[in-house]
Amino acid sequence: MQNDNLLISKIQNKDEAALSELYDSYSPALYGVIIRMCKDEQEAQNLLQDTFLTIWEKSLQYNPEKGKFYTWAYRIAKNKTLNFLRKSKNLIQTEDLSVYTNKEDNINIDPEYLQLSGCLKQLEKHHQRALELVYFNGLTHREAHKEMDVPLGTFKSYIKQALKKLQLSYNKSMLWLLFFIEMIE
Amino acid sequence: MDKAYIIEHGILELYLLGELTPEEQIQVERVLNVDADLKNEFDFLETNFEKMAFENAINPPKEVKEILLQKIKKNQPKIIPLERNKTYKTFLYLASGIAACLLIGSIWMFTKLDEANTQIQIVEEQNQLLLEDIKALTSNLEYASKYLSIVNSPDTEQYILKGNALAPEAKVVSYVNHKSKSVIINTAQLPKLDAEHDYQMWADVDGVMIDMGVINKEDNLLAMNYIDDAESLNITIEPAGGNDHPTVSKLITNVYL
Repeated sequence: MQNDNLLISKIQNKDEAALSELYDSYSPALYGVIIRMCKDEQEAQNLLQDTFLTIWEKSLQYNPEKGKFYTWAYRIAKNKTLNFLRKSKNLIQTEDLSVYTNKEDNINIDPEYLQLSGCLKQLEKHHQRALELVYFNGLTHREAHKEMDVPLGTFKSYIKQALKKLQLSYNKSMLWLLFFIEMIE
Repeated sequence: MDKAYIIEHGILELYLLGELTPEEQIQVERVLNVDADLKNEFDFLETNFEKMAFENAINPPKEVKEILLQKIKKNQPKIIPLERNKTYKTFLYLASGIAACLLIGSIWMFTKLDEANTQIQIVEEQNQLLLEDIKALTSNLEYASKYLSIVNSPDTEQYILKGNALAPEAKVVSYVNHKSKSVIINTAQLPKLDAEHDYQMWADVDGVMIDMGVINKEDNLLAMNYIDDAESLNITIEPAGGNDHPTVSKLITNVYL
């Protein structure tokens, strides 16, 4: 965290090496989000690059007091990807006059590749799906509850429960980690 | 927006995802600044959010980074000085352009001014000439009207002086008005004299020749002095400028009144 703040202040002073280091730390996490949202490898790479260009150009707008660097970068990446998806959707609609409804048609990527892992996997399916839609597919709550075909209130409680469980499981793994460290010592 | 509302409506999570309006964002930030509990909750949420992302990270191909760094290198050192240079140069071009325009404009205006001045001078000269013409015409008109009024008057009598053997082709028409005491003669048919001689007119009063004036060579119609009780009008050839006494041998015409 401290290291990140140092890197960011270097980036604000246009230090290319700092950007390179920050890219190494955060690009896989951001790429994971972008590619799950747009489901197109080539476009995801373009959007990732575009995201880091914006980070480079607008680094002065980041305020560490308001949140983590990842949160700020995630918002940039999500907005870029959603804008791209909106544009390409409009394009497809105007080109063949048919409404582009089935998103799955456009996937040119192995779904296995995009499967979620980590603590998310330990959640119940509907909790997992709810978090995936919101965090990794960039849907708003209003879009996501329709996607899951449950009322908005139900969807919101899914998210709340999912986050609570996630918190517990992270705490648990943290306990295990601490326990192991104790053991080793 | 208070703590209870924020927790109940899952606002922190929307804030995390950047889905609030700018106003709502500011409100949430205000509450987070003063409420340590809520801030703690948000930190947890954010930490988990980040962990989840790192657990689901996918490595992008290496080329993405290479291209990114190239793009940054390409943009960074060039953009700023180039733009400054460009604007500086543009200003320079613009300024020199304006200066050139002003210079050419001034030269053009100066020539125009010079032309205008010359034209004004010409016009003034012409005006002067025209004024003189008008003066001359007015005096001519005065003369002509005066002559015409005399010639046309019913009191005017017309006498024709025909040339004798000395000047057989000479013919002078004289208009004599005894009431207004004026004499006008038309000398259009008097033969031309050399520079040393002039025609002079005389009135005969009781055998004495009285001078009526030298006939001006330039005019065809001219007024002569009226002499009371004149018995005849006579014209002689005299030395230039006229004579005190008529040279009778040079009498060319006469008429009895």
